[in-house]
Amino acid sequence: MCASVKYNIRGPALIPRMKTKHRIYYVSLFSIVLLGLIATGMFQFWPHSIESSSDWSVEKRSVRDVPVVRLPADSPVPERGDLSCRMHTCFDVYRCGFNPKNKIKVYIYSLKKYVDELGVPVSNTISREYNELLTAISDSDYYTDDISRACLFVPSIDVLNQNTLRIKETAQALAQLSSPRRYFLLSSQMAIHPEYREDLEALQARHGESVLVLDKCSNLSEGVRSVRTRCHKHQVFDYPQVLQEATFCVVLRGARLGQAVLSDVLHAGCVPVVIADSYVLPFSEVLDWKRASVVVPEEKMSEVYSILQSIPQRQIEEMQRQARWFWEAYFQSIKAIALATLQIINDRIYPYAALSYEEWNDPPTVKWGSVSNPLFLPLIPPQSQGFTAIVLTYDRVESLFRVITEVSKVPSLSKLLVVWNNQNKNPPEESLWPKIRVPLKVVRTAENKLSNRFFPYDEIETEAVLAIDDDIIMLTSDELQFGYEVWREFPDRLVGYPGRLHLWDHEMNKWKYESEWTNEVSMVLTGAAFYHKYFNYLYTYKMPGDIKNWVDAHMNCEDIAMNFLVANVTGKAVIKVTPRKKFKCPECTAIDGLSLDQTHMVERSECINKFASVFGTMPLKVVEHRADPVLYKDDFPEKLKSFPNIGSL
Amino acid sequence: MQSWRRKSLWLALSASWLLVLLRVFPLLRLAVPGGPWASAPQGWPRWLDAELLQSFSPPGELPEDALQLPHAPRGGSCNWEACFDVSKCGAGGLKVFVHPVAGPLSAAHRRILASIESSRYHSASPDEACLLLFLSLEVPAGECSPLPQQWNGGRNHLVLGLHPAPCPQNFQLGQAMVAKASPTVDTFRPGFDVALPLLPEAHPLRGGAPGQLRQHSPHPGVPLLALAEERGGWRTAGTDPSVCPWDGRCEQDRGPEKTHPEGALPNATFCLIPGHHPDALHFLQALQAGCIPVLLSPRWELPFSEVIDWTKAAIVADKRLPLQVLAALQEMPPTRVLALRQQTQFLWDAYFSSVEKVVHTTLEIIQDRIFGASAHPSLLWNSPPGALLALPIFSTSPSDFPFYYLQLGSHPVGRFSALIWVGAPGQPPLKLIQAVAGSQHCAQILVLWSSEKPPPPRWPETAVPLTVMDGQRKVSDRFVPHRAISTDAILSLDAHSSLTTSEVDFAFLVWQSFPERMVGFLTWNHFWDEAQGSWGYTAERANEFSMVLTSAAFYHRYYHTLFTHTLPKALRTLADEAPTCVDILMNFLVAAVTKLPPIKVPYGKQHLEARPPLVPGGREPPPAARDCINQMAAGFGYMPLVSSRLRLDPVLFKDPVSVLRKKYRSLEKP
Repeated sequence: MCASVKYNIRGPALIPRMKTKHRIYYVSLFSIVLLGLIATGMFQFWPHSIESSSDWSVEKRSVRDVPVVRLPADSPVPERGDLSCRMHTCFDVYRCGFNPKNKIKVYIYSLKKYVDELGVPVSNTISREYNELLTAISDSDYYTDDISRACLFVPSIDVLNQNTLRIKETAQALAQLSSPRRYFLLSSQMAIHPEYREDLEALQARHGESVLVLDKCSNLSEGVRSVRTRCHKHQVFDYPQVLQEATFCVVLRGARLGQAVLSDVLHAGCVPVVIADSYVLPFSEVLDWKRASVVVPEEKMSEVYSILQSIPQRQIEEMQRQARWFWEAYFQSIKAIALATLQIINDRIYPYAALSYEEWNDPPTVKWGSVSNPLFLPLIPPQSQGFTAIVLTYDRVESLFRVITEVSKVPSLSKLLVVWNNQNKNPPEESLWPKIRVPLKVVRTAENKLSNRFFPYDEIETEAVLAIDDDIIMLTSDELQFGYEVWREFPDRLVGYPGRLHLWDHEMNKWKYESEWTNEVSMVLTGAAFYHKYFNYLYTYKMPGDIKNWVDAHMNCEDIAMNFLVANVTGKAVIKVTPRKKFKCPECTAIDGLSLDQTHMVERSECINKFASVFGTMPLKVVEHRADPVLYKDDFPEKLKSFPNIGSL
Repeated sequence: MQSWRRKSLWLALSASWLLVLLRVFPLLRLAVPGGPWASAPQGWPRWLDAELLQSFSPPGELPEDALQLPHAPRGGSCNWEACFDVSKCGAGGLKVFVHPVAGPLSAAHRRILASIESSRYHSASPDEACLLLFLSLEVPAGECSPLPQQWNGGRNHLVLGLHPAPCPQNFQLGQAMVAKASPTVDTFRPGFDVALPLLPEAHPLRGGAPGQLRQHSPHPGVPLLALAEERGGWRTAGTDPSVCPWDGRCEQDRGPEKTHPEGALPNATFCLIPGHHPDALHFLQALQAGCIPVLLSPRWELPFSEVIDWTKAAIVADKRLPLQVLAALQEMPPTRVLALRQQTQFLWDAYFSSVEKVVHTTLEIIQDRIFGASAHPSLLWNSPPGALLALPIFSTSPSDFPFYYLQLGSHPVGRFSALIWVGAPGQPPLKLIQAVAGSQHCAQILVLWSSEKPPPPRWPETAVPLTVMDGQRKVSDRFVPHRAISTDAILSLDAHSSLTTSEVDFAFLVWQSFPERMVGFLTWNHFWDEAQGSWGYTAERANEFSMVLTSAAFYHRYYHTLFTHTLPKALRTLADEAPTCVDILMNFLVAAVTKLPPIKVPYGKQHLEARPPLVPGGREPPPAARDCINQMAAGFGYMPLVSSRLRLDPVLFKDPVSVLRKKYRSLEKP
């Protein structure tokens, strides 16, 4: 390949310098090559295209050229549709079989033209809408061209309009396909049935201006009958534009229960008022029509006006929004209808992977703003469960042992897990570890990464996790025990000791990290913090964007990332417990210079800005409270207090 | 010449290379699967004349709406519109009359009757009622209890049978709705009948056993799957469920396995329940245990399926694809397992744990049908605290309730109304009004004048509107949903309460973080008195508390509606008789709804010294009030109060830093 390209580049430059004889030689050689190329191309593609055109799946063809199938008059008519059919009884799920993606496969029969014995076509070959519908299916993920892999079959016989349908013959045609079927019923309603007209006119007589009854136009000259107009007495209205001016639009029962009026109404952003008993609203299996429509029993038609008036304005606005969303998401185009239908069938076959009520019904604005707390059940875990302490360490063995000894004094500790993050050094021998009353396990990691602290280890058996650094020796047993008690009351939050704050810097126009003495808190340090172990799973597997790798690469801000994650998923603020402000040990001298402190601040501010841009929002919540024991600093005998040893900074 | 030959050779070589490449390339294209050149599945053809195709209903050809109007099916199969006369139900919602039953009543039926009679639905006369309830009794097989006199073809009747008492003469029922346990899908009329859970014989009347779930996520090492056994009880396969799929066909090497006796609750993540009828009881057990029910093509209707979204709490799968279900369970992401588990517990606690809840849920469903557009939205049925505790008479918009702010992405309104109750002495609380009006968050002050003395004609000038309302001289009057309250938050106060402006400000900020709880200053604690074998409570300062006094507390105004409309009348009368009881009752109510303790915020010591003792006669409540907590517990059927050991303080509270840094410095005054 390379060689020939090179040649082509140099070729034109060579030619003029050559003798004529040579040039002829070159030209002939070139033409041979070119001929060969053309011949190869013909050989490769031509016969193939002939083959597929016989198969009717070539790209561009005309509908008129489809093969004709003659139905003998005595060809079998399938049994009447069984009304008692259920998904469990009439649908062959075995065909859907195991599918790791939990997606059904749909096959479309190729288009044929069915004629009866006399050569009269059974139905329209295909209508524009049905063609759109099949195109939408074939473009979707559900489509397969392999009949043996499919579990749902769509006939290409157009059954959209029942009025033009020759039922018996169509049924015969369908019987030839012998497969599960689905019909899409659509029909349109123009005139009001006399039975209802009376009621509606009575209604208008009573409520005058606020009710407008639209009917078929009878006074138009012959031949101009148009679907685009409706009349009230002698006034002519443009239809469906007139619907846009109304808040509620009544959908009455028509000849067919499938209402084109309904889709006109939704399109106009009007709230449908359905007065058609036993009318099953479209997609009612998954769509909650109560949120977008008012259903009134036919018997109570005369009371419609008062029923509608009793609906509060806020609810009406909500319904309008919802109706518009239903229209946009599920009814706007044939494609939307087709995809929604297939999704419903898919949900039935793979119920454990089905879309939820919220996914079907909540408009995007609600979905975006709402938070579904993964720990929504108000549940205070029993104290007996205790917590697991996870100490991340590298090589500060002496300090680590002190932490272990201190933490083991906390009554509710049930297990201690040391995450040994140093790959070059083995952890100390078993005999050297401090002897403590709870099980102690050492986990060795494959790589020195900060995120190892938040890994959901199988060894964690309790729900409560205490993440603690290997140099946090200043926390008292009372402080830790109290922290655990607070976590039990707020199991869906991060419960920590020193609090930090994010602030909006108006000069720089970005977020700033703040560790000064503030009246507000929006983060806690995870140098020592209680949280639910589920957040370990989220941190490891569901952290948005590249945050996890970014933290590992920068070796900083894993705590800020955790604060972002928890606040984003629960929508709740952290709980800071006890007055503690810093994790500085009392013996340590101020080795960290001021400049080091400042670069630290800059880095942390950068983290906040980076994470806020990845999350696309600022999930942190600012609060002005912290949790103290009930009798903290109260005038009360110290020895009677549950947690007396609390209060150092 | 040499060069010419060399060049021609070179040329021939490259030409042949080109040919070879051309031949090989398409083959390569076929060999690389799924690449960008791989032939896309040949879909539905793009017709050249697609634009020219006719519409399925061409505009010229009008589908005349036929004169033969399809009619709603009537008679044989009833539906709500055809067989229920809504016009009998007034604006007051559902009123239920229970037909007196001839003959001896079983204990279970007495409990049902009692729960209806004490509810807000009950009506004593059949003429007022819009729903007539007929209890289907357990009678010897083949016999049916005689129909009551005002049967009226079963119109507006509900035949309620908690226990499957198969009365064969179903045709007698006419237009009556049937509420029975686990109806089969073949006879169930959706939207008309009500599917009940199959309750065990000894189901408690009130309260009921709480859910068994003790932690949100499954304990590691707990078996994945428990199987419902034919004769009751559960069998758990080992932690590796692939060893044994169901059917009991793999007798050998099933791994560690345990059989649990009947009545014991399963301890597994998922509970597999085969589809046939008697297993409905297993379903409820699984729900209580927090074990996610996996139903294989159930032949019975799931309880309250009209309103409960069971896809959030159970997995209903096709029994014909068992291996696929098993694989799906094994691979289910932890997030989904967590959500399903919690939902089972919520549903158990909200609708199934007692006979009363089951009966009330049934009536609430029928009331929702009557209400139509102003019924419970689906969110209220399917998220805590559940539809029995979220009343649509308060609002049909979830954002008005204190429970759904997160789901809706909204916030409580940033202001509060102070409601000051002035009782017997009749002293206008001028100092308190000034302190409260000084808060920047205060929207209005309402004085509820409940004293015999007439209110003073002049009130102090305040920055916010002050309204004086005439009360009814009853203590429970302060928890009536007064129309004048315009904000979500209420600061409930007594005439003798004493607060500073910054205390009010801080407490309100805390309430905004916990809008469903009560946030108060003074606390009581309840305890179980071993010696007396009863509940007691104390106002002593202690390390724990479970109630906050409503003489100074923030809470959501919805609790006024709940207090007035859901509490049994007997309990409210009790509260009127003993004033301290009203505090206990309100705390019981909020705790029963939230299942969480209230929140305490700091309260200046100076108030404690200034105010009269909380309870007349010292720190210990009088015997009458002591009794009150026990009567409340009996009325609720359990003890809802939860204790807390923490207080929420300002972040810099009593820290040794300059006061100038502190926002709430006046809270620290000695």
